[in-house]
Amino acid sequence: MTDATQGTTSAPAVETRELWKTFGEGETAVHAVQNVTVAIQPGEFVALCGPSGSGKTTLVNLIGGLTNPTRGTAKVDGRDVGAMSERERAQLRLERIGFVFQAYNLLPVLTALENAEFPLMLRGVEREERRKEVMELFEHIGLGGLQDRRPGALSGGQQQRVAVARAVLGAPALVLADEPTANLDTAASDALLEVMELLNEERKVTFIFCTHDPRVMRRARRIIRLVDGHVERDEEKASGDLPGWVLEPVGT
Amino acid sequence: MTERWVIVARIGLRNVRRQLRRSLLTASAMVLGIALLMFVRALEGGAHLMYVDTATRMGTGHIAMEHPDYRGSQDLMDRIAAPDLERILAAADRSVAAGELVAVFPQVNVGGLAQSASSSIPVRISGVDPGLERDVSFFADKMVEGRYLEVGDRLEAIVGAEVAQRLRLELGSRLVLMAAGAGGELESQLVFVTGIFRSGVPEVDRGVVQLPLATAREWLEVGEDATSVSVILASDNRTGEIASEIQGHLREGGVEAERLAVRPWWEAMPDLYAGLRADAVQTYVMLVILLAIVALAVVNSILMAVLNRTREFGVLRALGLNRTSVGAMVMVEGLVLTLASGVAGMLLGLAISMGLFRDGVDISFLFGGELAFAGSVVDPVILPAVLVSDVVAILSIVVSIGILATLYPAWHATRIEPAEAMKTDE
Repeated sequence: MTDATQGTTSAPAVETRELWKTFGEGETAVHAVQNVTVAIQPGEFVALCGPSGSGKTTLVNLIGGLTNPTRGTAKVDGRDVGAMSERERAQLRLERIGFVFQAYNLLPVLTALENAEFPLMLRGVEREERRKEVMELFEHIGLGGLQDRRPGALSGGQQQRVAVARAVLGAPALVLADEPTANLDTAASDALLEVMELLNEERKVTFIFCTHDPRVMRRARRIIRLVDGHVERDEEKASGDLPGWVLEPVGT
Repeated sequence: MTERWVIVARIGLRNVRRQLRRSLLTASAMVLGIALLMFVRALEGGAHLMYVDTATRMGTGHIAMEHPDYRGSQDLMDRIAAPDLERILAAADRSVAAGELVAVFPQVNVGGLAQSASSSIPVRISGVDPGLERDVSFFADKMVEGRYLEVGDRLEAIVGAEVAQRLRLELGSRLVLMAAGAGGELESQLVFVTGIFRSGVPEVDRGVVQLPLATAREWLEVGEDATSVSVILASDNRTGEIASEIQGHLREGGVEAERLAVRPWWEAMPDLYAGLRADAVQTYVMLVILLAIVALAVVNSILMAVLNRTREFGVLRALGLNRTSVGAMVMVEGLVLTLASGVAGMLLGLAISMGLFRDGVDISFLFGGELAFAGSVVDPVILPAVLVSDVVAILSIVVSIGILATLYPAWHATRIEPAEAMKTDE
């Protein structure tokens, strides 16, 4: 089993410094992310919480190189994502980062299996090996027998599980997950979170979740709360605990 | 790396199927446009072959040989001497494979006057060998009264219908031909009208008289000489090559360029050649404009397909697919659509040209009767002919449309920013 931290330096898995993202200009400018400085070490299991519009999705997009910062830096494995070329960023995402998007975002022309193995295929993993990995994970998360269905023939929850499988297969160093359990029932959520915890513990995969889900926050070992684009609270905790402040209204 | 292109191609191909109705509509525009281009070119190519066939069988041949100065001087002084005629026949034999050669014949051509009891008019007088020309002569097929010349004829002559009308000639009428002989003196020859032809080419029908070659030689005092030798080939495919070979053999045999010019029909009949070229270019220009409109439809269809999948392209980019691969995916989609429909269009055009209209297309409803053009003429029933050069040209047009129509949508797809794309509903 591969350790996701293998071959990397001792740099934080993710490090942002005075990171800003502003949409628009002048009076209509919206500061989605304001002066965020955080460091997340390899193998951390972090929940990003906060009300809607607090900048969680924008922050993970900045970390994943899906959008450029207005100011400041976002580093992954010690490499400044904003300073990379488009090709380098694509390569970084392919080799080091797994994404789970809010709206599943599966490719409708591919089957569930093809969707899940897509990043592995791009990475050049042998067909037999990747199919074995996909089928094992599918069995574990309740997708057994659904591998040949196209997304249109899957329920929302099943699509989300395929999207999570796509993100975690091949054990990337970092998984950025935007509301991964939003459309899942308790059993499905738990199954997925167990898979992610296993990857986190055994392969030291770093997880950053944007979430409102207490089940996710309970399993996290660090919670960062964003309010209006800046970090309001950032605390470590024991897995299983759910600090009271997490559920309190913002500003109290 | 290979797997990456396999999946990129797979997604591209499945996307063509995904929007089946739109793909079929776009493809049908291509299919019809290319089929139309193919058919129109086949019709035009067929007509051109017929024009060339007619013109060559009127006496010029696929390859025409004459003294280099004869064309300008029209003087019997500038003629081919009998020994050179023998060398020409030997060179033609060496240059043309069995089955390629239809006929080789000498002629004596001269400008003169034709005089009847009622009037006289200027005419082009040709001394022809009926034994060699009977089976290939265009005039033999166009007799409207009487008969064509036969071996053994001596004082018989055939005249154009307008010549007969203007000189009030009938079959058996006496006709006196006058022209300058080899000695420079005006000579006259009595002949009897044995046939009247109507070629359809006005300048031929009102100004051509043919009589037996032996009679013309004797009358004009040219011995066994001739003013031209024509070679008729079974097909026009190797005309240029054979002309060069004949010329090469003649030069080896000591017949210098100053004594004999060897010309393929397009040099011997430059007006006809220029006319056919202009006709083909005009057709291509019109049809390429039509296809440009079709190409715009293809651009529109593929661009819509890209715009409707902005979010998907964003996801692909987010998952690590680089811009080149995203562009390639759209190129695959566009090229498959255009190439498949282009080839289908070519096959449909071929089926229409060589299947549906294999017996010819009667266009007399457009032009009335025969179509005269640059000194040649064709029947109004055109036999379509698909030329290899046209197939290559049309295939190139299809590939060009595919590439040009796909470039912009592909470029657009590569510009999609992942984070922005995933905010859209498309």
